[in-house]
Amino acid sequence: MWTDEGEGKVLYVQTHGVSDPGRCATPFFLAASAAAMEVEVAIYFTMYGPTLLQKDVVDKIGPKGDQGMPLAHFIKQATDLGVKLYVCQPSLELNDLALEDLIDGVVMIGGAAFNDMAMRADAVVSF
Amino acid sequence: MPITESPAQVLDCKGLACPMPVIKTAQAIKTIEPGQVLELLATDPGVEPDMKAWTTRTGNELLAIDREGDVFHVFLRRNG
Repeated sequence: MWTDEGEGKVLYVQTHGVSDPGRCATPFFLAASAAAMEVEVAIYFTMYGPTLLQKDVVDKIGPKGDQGMPLAHFIKQATDLGVKLYVCQPSLELNDLALEDLIDGVVMIGGAAFNDMAMRADAVVSF
Repeated sequence: MPITESPAQVLDCKGLACPMPVIKTAQAIKTIEPGQVLELLATDPGVEPDMKAWTTRTGNELLAIDREGDVFHVFLRRNG
């Protein structure tokens, strides 16, 4: 949920999951950049997106496969700057996941909360 | 405009790709006093538009960007 403390609000939506590693990290890069601009930033993981946040996946997947940093590095970079991570409840079920399977700090929200965040954001960027 | 005052801090981001120069600049500017200058060294070709956008958004001042070979020297003044 927004705190209205930033100079603006950007909401990113990640729909891609572990089957498409090349699409896993960009939302975190852009979110980190936005957070560095003193903007309030959140990423919402829906459809296959929640699969990227699994505790036992974040160290094993990366945008360039075995080369370069794992996804966990880019997630921490973003969250250290204040980026908030939200997950869609029905999408957890779609992927046979429970909130406990995901890294710490992820907040579960529903469709009404997501739409409220989207309507109050200055920009919504969907991947 | 030539930069006559020496920077309070030099931040070396040579070799780092987007978004690292922006992130490190945002962190470094908080460690200098308002009115002081931070010099960012970067080789990321996107640094010029990024720093223009970043300063516009954050209220810090972009004093100059000098290019020396592949290295951009970006001078930023921390505002209030």
